[in-house]
Amino acid sequence: MKRFLKSSFIMFLISALTCIGLTQSAQAVMIGTGEAGATAPSGRAHISALLERPDVQAQLENLGISKTDAQARVAALSDAEVAAVDNKIGSLPAGGDGIIGALVLIFVILLITDILGFTKVFPFTHPIQR
Amino acid sequence: MIWLKSGVLTLLILLSGCATQTSALLHEAPDTLPRRVELSGVPFFPQERYQCGPATLAMALQNSGVAIEPNALVEEVYVPKLEGSLQVEMLAAGRRNGAFTITIPTNLESLLTEVASGNPVVVLQNLGLSWIPRWHYALVVGYDLDQSEIILRSGTTLRLVMSLSTFEHTWERSGYWGMVALPPGQLPKTAQEAPSVAALIAFENGGSAKLARIAYRAALQRWPDNLQLMIGSGNTAAAEGDYLAAANAFQRATKHYPENVPAYNNLAMMLGKLGRYGEARIVAEKAVALGGPWHDAAMETLRSIEAVQH
Repeated sequence: MKRFLKSSFIMFLISALTCIGLTQSAQAVMIGTGEAGATAPSGRAHISALLERPDVQAQLENLGISKTDAQARVAALSDAEVAAVDNKIGSLPAGGDGIIGALVLIFVILLITDILGFTKVFPFTHPIQR
Repeated sequence: MIWLKSGVLTLLILLSGCATQTSALLHEAPDTLPRRVELSGVPFFPQERYQCGPATLAMALQNSGVAIEPNALVEEVYVPKLEGSLQVEMLAAGRRNGAFTITIPTNLESLLTEVASGNPVVVLQNLGLSWIPRWHYALVVGYDLDQSEIILRSGTTLRLVMSLSTFEHTWERSGYWGMVALPPGQLPKTAQEAPSVAALIAFENGGSAKLARIAYRAALQRWPDNLQLMIGSGNTAAAEGDYLAAANAFQRATKHYPENVPAYNNLAMMLGKLGRYGEARIVAEKAVALGGPWHDAAMETLRSIEAVQH
């Protein structure tokens, strides 16, 4: 039941999310290794910018993850993982920008793990309690 | 508690059917697989409450030469509200601390092959039932095919000996998730090309360019024609300021993959860094001409070269 509620909540989050358009600054850069084999640029800059938002960071901290930890965690995702997340965000229906960071955040965290296919439920561990 | 646990395990076995990989392995183990292996030198950190993730990862990292204690990993992999650690973060935290982390193929033979090669494997188990999960990370450090046993560093137990078929049941419920942490420059014995390249790119993104460069070099020896490995070795060389080596790597990529815009773009950037503006411009023009999704990036590169040239 709890899991059902959680997944319903996630579905709500996903449908409630907005598409946030961000532009990349124009300058000559090296093309990243992960992108070199892809058919299109990945959305790393897009996702990073999303996580730069103070409201998103505040929500991360609510989960017990510090701002720097959160950024490092996202930085360590592979390009394929980032592209998967970014595609999902890009395909969401556009709407107002009034959605609070919590939604964005929970969405991103759960989506990253979900898309990777590591598990279908929440892929965190509950070790044995003795 | 004990009777409850064994009751649950018995029920599990009844519910899940036979451990098929175990019986296959026991009947026809590959000749290359030693009958018995135990990596006794792998360090042990007994876990604190809920914190099997950091403890297990620390054991694997220390074994790969990264001096780190579980407490230092808690912030990196442990999500307090979830009382656990995400698999993706176990991999990422290993990378950030300088070890090359990668998941292994999802089968028992690969797991035992890695252990036999000297690589302890971090495994995710579900010690409960699929609908009452009790997720747990442990480190596989040995096995004995004749006794049908597997040996783990698990929880507060230094040397947990578990029946191989019971282990298979608990491991199956995590989708046979297992990872190794290796010193950069080493690859798992069971490594396959595509997943290895993806893991190497993640290692480059999450760790130091110096270590990633070593890792790419080793991987190129195993898969010399892989485009992304060539680009990666160039990008990491460039990040280290070794522009000549980087230019050579990209040059090689353009020879093998004459349609790849990123290879030309990055080669042009490096030639520019080396002050070879004439060549850089020709290469950048080639990148622009090939265009595709990279047209804008290539255009910026060309402009920056022209700006310096004039």
